[in-house]
Amino acid sequence: MFRVSEVLTYLEFARVGFVNILAYRLRYYTGVLTYSINVAVYYFIWKAIYAHSSEIEGFDLSDMITYVAMGWVVRSFYFNNIDHDLAVQVMEGKIAMDLIKPVNAQLMYVSEAMGESCFRLFMLSLPTLVVLSLVFPLKGPADWRLLPAFFASVVLAFFLVALVNFLVGTCAIRLKSVLGLLRAKHFLIEILSGLLIPISFFPGWAQRLMDFLPFQFIAYGPLLIYLGKRDAAGVARTLALQLLWVGILFLLGHLWWRSSIRKLAVHGG
Amino acid sequence: MRKHLTLLSDYFTQYLKVRLSYKGDLVIAVLTSFLATVLALAFVLVLFSKIPTLQGWSFEEVLFLYGFSLLPLGLFNVVSLNLYDFGNLYIMEGKFDRILLRPVNSLFQVIFEEFRLESLQEVATGIAIVAYCSVKLNLSWRVQDLVLASSVVLCGSLIYLAVFLSLTSVSFWLEDRVGLVPPVFNLLTFGRYPISIYNGFVQFLLSWIIPFAFASFYPSARFLRRRDFDLYFYLIPVVAGLFFTLSTLVWRQGVRNYQSTGS
Repeated sequence: MFRVSEVLTYLEFARVGFVNILAYRLRYYTGVLTYSINVAVYYFIWKAIYAHSSEIEGFDLSDMITYVAMGWVVRSFYFNNIDHDLAVQVMEGKIAMDLIKPVNAQLMYVSEAMGESCFRLFMLSLPTLVVLSLVFPLKGPADWRLLPAFFASVVLAFFLVALVNFLVGTCAIRLKSVLGLLRAKHFLIEILSGLLIPISFFPGWAQRLMDFLPFQFIAYGPLLIYLGKRDAAGVARTLALQLLWVGILFLLGHLWWRSSIRKLAVHGG
Repeated sequence: MRKHLTLLSDYFTQYLKVRLSYKGDLVIAVLTSFLATVLALAFVLVLFSKIPTLQGWSFEEVLFLYGFSLLPLGLFNVVSLNLYDFGNLYIMEGKFDRILLRPVNSLFQVIFEEFRLESLQEVATGIAIVAYCSVKLNLSWRVQDLVLASSVVLCGSLIYLAVFLSLTSVSFWLEDRVGLVPPVFNLLTFGRYPISIYNGFVQFLLSWIIPFAFASFYPSARFLRRRDFDLYFYLIPVVAGLFFTLSTLVWRQGVRNYQSTGS
């Protein structure tokens, strides 16, 4: 399917993503603080709630704190700005440069984001994990043998986020003001991924609806594996559905990009 | 004062002309902004489908907190855009030189050169939520309550302005790369819930260091007839005045320290 030279090209994009973000490394010190603040808000909320009940929907307080904290640690890895970057490229007309490169734009953006995420893993995710486990009573993985499955699931979550962001970012070609859409997408993913609250807390009709969407595999899926709330079959199912969604979103992104660039108008540049 | 008002209306007319020339774009911006506001509420909605109260605060009360917090924030967001972009736009790209050449207060120019009209949607949504909860909770609003609410909302906007202006002023000394805004911005979420659920440190932080509680929680508590926080309520104008004055001093010091990039 791919020749080695092609793979090397995309690896180069990943390297560029990694190096670009190096310039902003100072931001990652405050990034640890930002993520810790987010965890703290929900820590206090859940603590207040569990003062009156020992278990809700199969989660006790320590499950929930671990869920929230690990959720944000994982988010610090899979997060990327493809949507925003694409929007800026369109607004500044630089998108023309992407078109003259003999590469697949979607793969290029995802590769760059992958480089960034490698950087985030060491500069943000691990420090955040250390800080959070010092401040909050976190549980270790329920079953160490499932740890590789958890990591695989997190990597797949990265692809899901990257591909969704590419789809949304591509909308910038057709819409002039896309920033509101990006903000709405941000909140949509926060809630539908299960990052803020486990999917099992949603009303039944919403859960059934979300079974037809990829979002719960971004946070809820990997986190249940970590907490040991999925048996072997459940783990395999999660990973398989994640893979399936990666495929579907890649295809959608490909088609959406191809039809969008035909509408592209760049003035000079 | 008169000159500034004329200038403000000129700035705004100019902005409006640009925005209205892309009407479809404005509609999309308002709709997506509204969607974002509603989605941010989803957590509370889902949460309360499983629990009856949050430490003695009912669903409608917590909803009220969120709705009321949108009022000062929405007003602030109408003018906040340039504060976030200041480091990049004005310092790095050198736009600030132009500002200094004009015989008008520099802060005035930076704040009012750009607006975000769609953020008024947050104010409208906030009013709708507060009205809904007031009916559900049988809260009556007399004329003097409305006047009082409007004044504390303005004080709240001033508090947000003060906090983010101080952070913006940091760009005069440090490169924007440090990214001080995101952690503080995320502290805003704390303001949406009853302050009593937090530990002493967080309560102190939100009251006296980064006084977001004075912008949203303390005013809401008063209108929800939660009398324990009355003392804080009367301090709102003091805190707003004090922090705003301090932030303009920091800004002025920053301007004095400004060295153009020369671009």
